[in-house]
Amino acid sequence: MARVARGDQAAVQALVARKLPRMLQLAQRMLGDSAEAEDVAQEVFVRAWRQAPRWVPGAAKFDTWMHRVAINLCYDRLRRRREQPMAEPPDQIDPGPAPDRGLLASDTGVRVSAALAALPDRQREAVVLCHYQDLGNIEAAALMNVSVEALESLLSRGRRALRAALADLKE
Amino acid sequence: MSGMDAARFETLAGTWGGVITRWPQDLREDALIFLADHPEAARCLLADAQALDEALDVLGLPTPTAALRDTIIAAAPAIRRRNILLRWLSGAGIGAALAAASVSGIVVGVQVSQVEAVDSRSEAVYSVSNDDDWYALPETESQS
Repeated sequence: MARVARGDQAAVQALVARKLPRMLQLAQRMLGDSAEAEDVAQEVFVRAWRQAPRWVPGAAKFDTWMHRVAINLCYDRLRRRREQPMAEPPDQIDPGPAPDRGLLASDTGVRVSAALAALPDRQREAVVLCHYQDLGNIEAAALMNVSVEALESLLSRGRRALRAALADLKE
Repeated sequence: MSGMDAARFETLAGTWGGVITRWPQDLREDALIFLADHPEAARCLLADAQALDEALDVLGLPTPTAALRDTIIAAAPAIRRRNILLRWLSGAGIGAALAAASVSGIVVGVQVSQVEAVDSRSEAVYSVSNDDDWYALPETESQS
């Protein structure tokens, strides 16, 4: 971050290459809308650039800080959706798997996206942080402001609901 | 002998998935012991959890568009400063500089012509008011 703050272009590019797909994934899985996810990811970086000169090495993990900002932005949007229900679903839903994974995977992707979207927000957040973002239980619990036990309960219930929703995929 | 029983192993597999190395660090050792002690039961539970992992992984890591990546990089502080400078130098800045140069040229030209005009009158004025400081012509010019 110190190099980013000094305007080192290589550091900026490396940070974006490493973190942008993760931020995009987090927002996409939380919101189920790729256009909104892009907006969130972009805003996370706008705030990161603003934060860079004030960043104190070792005070907190930068990845954790980015996750916290992204999650807060996602919850802002989820709250807004509830306050202003959309007449129609978003134009751009989560596109699911990459095209080269084939039609079957694409169908599965749509099903998985829908199953994730149907989860209660906190269960979805637990699944996204632990499964997709691959965060440890302590880090994920801290991000969610819950105990490790509470995180495990949310994660367990979330995965159980997903398994039930996707049960026919195994057959 | 592991302190973990089948029910606990099943709960953990249902929570953390079918790959023990992705479980929390403090649970792995007991889980691996349970796996060694009860390979068939453990593998069956892990396979069940792994099926869900694989379904979830179908979504994969999204690939950012080049446009999004470029927009984010262009907004980085130093790069933004540099872009502003480049824009200034390449376009509007040069235009502004040329305009400023033209204006200053005109001003200088006007001033010079005024000076010349004044100069041509200077002898007459000077002769009238030789010791007046307010008249700003340098002595050399006024005397030439």
